[in-house]
Amino acid sequence: MIIAGLAFYLFAIIAVAAAVMVITARNPVHSVLWLILVFFNAAGLFLLLQAEFLAMTLVVVYVGAVAVLFLFVVMMLDLNTQVLREGLAEYVPLGAVIGLILLVEIATVGGSWLLSPEMEQVRGAVARTDITNTQALGNLIYTDYVYLFQAAGLVLLVAMIGSIMLTHRVRPGVKKQKVAEQLARGRTVEVKKVPTRGGI
Amino acid sequence: MTSLANLSLAAPELLMAAAGLVLLMIGVYQKGDATRLVGWLAVLVMVVAGVLVLKGAGTDAGTTFKGMFVTDAFAVYAKVMVLGASALSLILSLGWLAQEEIKKFEYSVLVLFATLGMLMMVSANDLMSLYIGLELQSLALYVVASFKRDSVKSTEAGLKYFVLGSVASGMMLYGMSMIYGFSGTTNFEVLAEVLSEHQATGVVVGLVFVMAGLAFKVSAAPFHMWTPDVYEGAPTPVTAFFALAPKIAAIALFVRVMTGPFADLIGAWQQVMWIIAVLSMIVGSFGAIGQQNIKRLMAYSSIGHMGYALIGLVVGNEEGVQGILIYLAIYVFMNIGAFAIILSMRQKGRALEGISDLAGLSKTSPLMAAALAIFMFSMAGIPPMAGFFGKFYVFISAVHAGMYWLAVIGVLTSVVGAYYYLRIVKVMYFDEPTEAFDTPRLANRVILLVAGVFTLFYIVYPSPLLLTAQAAAKSLFAY
Amino acid sequence: MAELWEGYLWPGIIIVAQIVAIVLPLLVAVAYLTLMERKIIGAMQMRRGPNVVGPWGLLQPLADGVKLFMKETVIPTGASRAVFLMAPMVTFFLALIAWAVIPVNEGWVLSDINVGVMYLFAISSLGVYGIIMAGWASNSRYAFLGAMRSAAQMVSYEVAMGLIIISVLLTVGSLNLSDIVHAQQKSVWFLVIHFPMAIMFFISTLAETNRHPFDLPEAEAELVSGYNVEYSAMTFALFFLGEYANMILMSGITTILFLGGWLPPIDIAPLNWIPGPLWFIIKVVALLFVFVWARAAFPRYRYDQLMRLGWKVFLPASLGWVVLTAAVLQFTGWSPWN
Repeated sequence: MIIAGLAFYLFAIIAVAAAVMVITARNPVHSVLWLILVFFNAAGLFLLLQAEFLAMTLVVVYVGAVAVLFLFVVMMLDLNTQVLREGLAEYVPLGAVIGLILLVEIATVGGSWLLSPEMEQVRGAVARTDITNTQALGNLIYTDYVYLFQAAGLVLLVAMIGSIMLTHRVRPGVKKQKVAEQLARGRTVEVKKVPTRGGI
Repeated sequence: MTSLANLSLAAPELLMAAAGLVLLMIGVYQKGDATRLVGWLAVLVMVVAGVLVLKGAGTDAGTTFKGMFVTDAFAVYAKVMVLGASALSLILSLGWLAQEEIKKFEYSVLVLFATLGMLMMVSANDLMSLYIGLELQSLALYVVASFKRDSVKSTEAGLKYFVLGSVASGMMLYGMSMIYGFSGTTNFEVLAEVLSEHQATGVVVGLVFVMAGLAFKVSAAPFHMWTPDVYEGAPTPVTAFFALAPKIAAIALFVRVMTGPFADLIGAWQQVMWIIAVLSMIVGSFGAIGQQNIKRLMAYSSIGHMGYALIGLVVGNEEGVQGILIYLAIYVFMNIGAFAIILSMRQKGRALEGISDLAGLSKTSPLMAAALAIFMFSMAGIPPMAGFFGKFYVFISAVHAGMYWLAVIGVLTSVVGAYYYLRIVKVMYFDEPTEAFDTPRLANRVILLVAGVFTLFYIVYPSPLLLTAQAAAKSLFAY
Repeated sequence: MAELWEGYLWPGIIIVAQIVAIVLPLLVAVAYLTLMERKIIGAMQMRRGPNVVGPWGLLQPLADGVKLFMKETVIPTGASRAVFLMAPMVTFFLALIAWAVIPVNEGWVLSDINVGVMYLFAISSLGVYGIIMAGWASNSRYAFLGAMRSAAQMVSYEVAMGLIIISVLLTVGSLNLSDIVHAQQKSVWFLVIHFPMAIMFFISTLAETNRHPFDLPEAEAELVSGYNVEYSAMTFALFFLGEYANMILMSGITTILFLGGWLPPIDIAPLNWIPGPLWFIIKVVALLFVFVWARAAFPRYRYDQLMRLGWKVFLPASLGWVVLTAAVLQFTGWSPWN
């Protein structure tokens, strides 16, 4: 399919270009917006792989929830990128050296590309057509990978406990609305005559 | 289609996961303060989990969850140590929480989940389960490090640990992705099989990243930078916990990863391990010299100890692993004892952590001073304390493998290390006393007694530990 | 050449035609929804509503449109120009593209994808961007506050909505929207099976579209008009259109999930003479009437009450319902998988 090929290059190019913009944009809010564009194009790539469930999940979770929180934080913080960039020049040589080493490593690795027989099988795998990929994913997650799935749930739980514990403060003397109590009053709401400056 | 995994192999983990959720609910719905109740229940859960681990030791061995989870003698040995260390440091923490009047039941729950993560690490038989276990543990540790949130130092410790730990996790994940990409599998057994046939460069590069991540978790040099700051900033019982359980789990994981799937790459990783071990020993012994804060001192001490333990991994054979396991067991007893004393350093309800505060302890509370002296001698590796034997076994394994330089450097750094350990003894016995400490809590005294007796009299009856460690090491090299 | 025509151009033309066939009626519907709202509220408040432009005021929406079209678009100083202009477009665009998967009748759908529900959920979770971008780009305190409120509110209610949708999906066993309607053809409307959830879902859609009684982002008394306070003319019109198109969309989703889509209530003689699309429209209009009714009838929620409702009532309730549904399906053997 020509269209699929074109779409792949379109998504891929935009994703890479937007990713570059994420780290070069001067305004942090713009960075997050570019990041969202990256997510979208990644979702598009998933679609081309016929993994529509993953594509939608990526949009719902990363764009719909994670990036919104990013935006929240970035918008509320009074970030001054100019200040953040101070001293960047000092670290550029170091970063460049590390980057270069990594690049050389990857180049050597790529040069000696050697696929194991198992990997060849994975490459040849085609999407099953008899069931939707939502079902296929469910069949795997809840059987073969149930251990990881549940453990990942625990990781998220710990993150939640942690964030609540580190930020939740019990403030004394706060008047909370207790809806249950209000409703439990029944029909005995009474009208009282309140003396001036006296209160009830 | 739905074949139930063999759950009995993972019984301790399942118990802890379920109990953690229940304890959370108890803590939330308990009227009033639930810190004590939840804390002791968590200790109980750990003890029961330990019993379950031991119960399964003889009968159940093998993998479950599609080969992602393994139970063998090595895992049992490490799990018992992890559970013991966690339970003891949790008991110490509960006393501290009561003294500081901190009412947070979440602390115990988080420690429980961290311990669960460690058990999962120890039993990991797949890169993915390794990572998940490690994250569960790390995430809980980041939070407990900063859990005294009104203290700037504690917050700083947590943040530093979090940022650096995330980088380490990221590196490790990157390495894992390369290993997967070049071998086509994440399972340890299949990896070992694939790598015995052909060894792609990509796997080696990936392995280096994984090693860097793991070295960070055991706080081995040159990935040790966070350790002194985190140990100093974190609340003292948390420091005690950090110095014990996570170290054991991470070392056990390190050993399993290196000697299992990557056994055939030993030529590639042995030199890297050599450098890591030597650097850790040097940093640990020289870094500690100028320290005034006892928690920072313990941090450098633990870096050094990790270096000694890793000697066994450099050797990379059964004898080396046996040495590591013995070293770790002795390390737990020495450290829990030392921290029981550090946590008892209180004057009029105020916690102290300067080395100079120990001045003249031999006059104000001679028993405590004697106990601390025993631990310090032991850590320095002076016979006939237990610590000597720990070092002895790893050095001897290096000598047997013909790595004389490693053993020599180890001995030399031990001598340097002895200087600062003995400095504490000198401060206690020869400096003028300051004010007396408050009477330590009962739990601290009991732990102190047990640890002291073990450290002092290990020489009398060493065979059970030796044999168990041997069996555990053997199970690791079974395949 | 013939291949190019057969393979690409002709299908392309058909798709464009289909898109036009969806969008045009939708825009007309949006225009007259505004009129309907004003008329209904007028009637409830014993007024006449718009009645000057055209017979019974029927041309009023056109007049409004022309007015907004002719006015000048003002971009505030200090605004982030690109984001400022993008925000209303995003809002409007999202309200339109969601319709690609909505089936109005058997097979009457632009793209009958397998993950239709996920698609809708994804699109609706993106709705928050238009608002948050507008609030931030306007460089105005009021707009920013409104946007923050709105974003927090939408994200909160999305969680409950997602869980409610999961209960429905469990009973259907498919993420395809047509399949969901077919499942209701076989049994009964999910309004009956999932009764409390249907109500909760509808309330959540009110919050999701920032409508009364959850219109805190607008809160004209305190925030002047919320996130769109700096917008004028065409940009404002796009927000306005997007908001009302979203109302219609949400009504459509509710119709499909709980009210049996294009199906008649009971499959008997006089009722099934009415064609499916008409049933769909009737249901949507009925739901829209409730939207307007709620606006006229209820006072605005306080913000903490709003959050409490979302997190402490809807979330646990819908989670419990998911567990209950799953348990019932598993133990009675009604599960679509057995």
